[in-house]
Amino acid sequence: MKHHDKNHRVTRRDFLRGTAYATLGLAMGIEGLPRAGKGSAFAAENPLSQVVLVRHEAAVDAGHQVNSVVVAEMLDTAMKTFTGEGDIAKAWQRYFHPQDNVGIKYTRCSWQRIHVNQAVLDAITDRLIASGVPRNRVTANDFGLPVKDCTALINVPTVKVHSLTGIAVSIKNYINFTRIRIFYHHDGSSKLGETWLLPEVKGKTRLIVVDMLRPYFGPGPQINPLHQWDYKGILVGTDPVAIDTVCLSICQKKRNLFKGEEWLITPPPRSLATADSVYHLGTSDPTKIELTRLGWEKEQLI
Amino acid sequence: MGELSRASLILLGLSLFAPHVARAEENMLRLPQQVLGWKTDGQDKVFTRQTIFDYMDGGGEIYLAYDFQQLLAREYARADAPRIVAETYQMASSRDAYGIFTHDTDGQPVSMGQMALYSAGLLRFWKDRFFVRLQAEDETPEVKAALMTLGHQIASGIPSNGKKPSLLMALPPQGLIESSVHYFHTPVSLNIHYFLDDSNLLNLNSKTEAILAQYHQDRDRPRLLVVRYPRPSDAAAAFEQFGKVYLRQSPAGKAVYRKLEKEQFAGGRREERALLLVFEAGSRESAEKLVDLAASRMKGVTP
Repeated sequence: MKHHDKNHRVTRRDFLRGTAYATLGLAMGIEGLPRAGKGSAFAAENPLSQVVLVRHEAAVDAGHQVNSVVVAEMLDTAMKTFTGEGDIAKAWQRYFHPQDNVGIKYTRCSWQRIHVNQAVLDAITDRLIASGVPRNRVTANDFGLPVKDCTALINVPTVKVHSLTGIAVSIKNYINFTRIRIFYHHDGSSKLGETWLLPEVKGKTRLIVVDMLRPYFGPGPQINPLHQWDYKGILVGTDPVAIDTVCLSICQKKRNLFKGEEWLITPPPRSLATADSVYHLGTSDPTKIELTRLGWEKEQLI
Repeated sequence: MGELSRASLILLGLSLFAPHVARAEENMLRLPQQVLGWKTDGQDKVFTRQTIFDYMDGGGEIYLAYDFQQLLAREYARADAPRIVAETYQMASSRDAYGIFTHDTDGQPVSMGQMALYSAGLLRFWKDRFFVRLQAEDETPEVKAALMTLGHQIASGIPSNGKKPSLLMALPPQGLIESSVHYFHTPVSLNIHYFLDDSNLLNLNSKTEAILAQYHQDRDRPRLLVVRYPRPSDAAAAFEQFGKVYLRQSPAGKAVYRKLEKEQFAGGRREERALLLVFEAGSRESAEKLVDLAASRMKGVTP
């Protein structure tokens, strides 16, 4: 499918008027846009997708240190809520079985960047094993995850506004499954969704757990500490587009707060729009997403 | 494939085959071996245009857009203290060192090099052809002191100052928000600072120079974009395209303005080989005034 050509260029005006990427504009809080679906943003009564957000004030301390015990509790709460199971092992057994080879694809950058906290990885691994998946069938990695050998994947990204992609969460997390990563940064990163449809990847993602403890909202590519904040959140879901849309909305509001005026996330995250409309990985329409918010409410931003 | 995409691929191609990096060690800054108890830890790392992506996968494009030449990265360590990474980026010109410095302008101004910013364990400055970035894992009073000392030592090792882009002279000073000024060449940079379109509407490339700045104008915050092209015909073509696609009104003469979304005005004029564009102005009059002021100042801008 053709994504982009000279005659279908998208301008700032198209974006602001909602004639292009309307659902993204809605998620980013651009006023006056026509709603793509019916209902309120992130409060769908008959949702296409569900996302659970859990926050805890004690998850990160004043020195930005992560509390692993609290993080594990947050993950349990999120999983129980998302599955409706009262027992945490049963919640995980909804998605993973003892005979699975589970790959945990997380985001690891050098210390200068935004990487998944070890506490999140440990909590996921522990619960997975406790639910019955043998330890030797669980592999966690960023680069080098043996995805061909995996029967199931858990996508564990961080959240960062990205100078080329707009925003990088679960959809971009699979870019390392390709050998031509730079290719996916071109053309507004619009083809990132393709990485989810690679033969060795397609259909394997059973769960997405987002480490939103300390997300990044600045222009990047390198980290300015002023642009990282302790949001202290974890998100769980199965729809990567819905999850990324929720994160987009939160980061946009944080940027606006930081500048005291609208500071649009740019370039517009075309990868999110095409993940919905071209690759059909999920919905980016906030009116079709039901977001359950639990825990610490201060500056929830959504 | 869109024009932006083609331009990006061309940029990438140029970077991969650029012939002007002979040896990584050439012209490299000398960094101190130690500072306030922090000592060099591990081998220095050197990255060129060909290898920048090894250092910052997904981020090298920004540096290449500023004609980056080479990077020296050195880590410093001290027992029971946060590590410090010193990065010195050598650009092809002082204009580009200034330009990459303006990529992110959030921080507290400090006196160092030709311009410097500090923010919570991150110190950045530019001087001559160098952009220097010193970042600690965490901020403590000792770390901040070390960063400042290290920064001053590195800056003093750069013997001369460099010229800022002459195009800056086009910016009218009244109402200018200094921290909003960005200097760049390519659509990759423009779209980070102000998304205009996804197809390189203004035909920006490595040979164009652009300045984006925001102004205080009563309750409005208009943005002024000045682009200088190699030839008047380049500017004319870009102006025609901008009018037709963005304003949906062909610029019949030298200037065109229109009321757009949110009751805001956009437009501009061409002046020889330069375009002077304004966005988000509160009225047509204020838009014209800002552009005309910049146009008059363009006459004093050196080539």
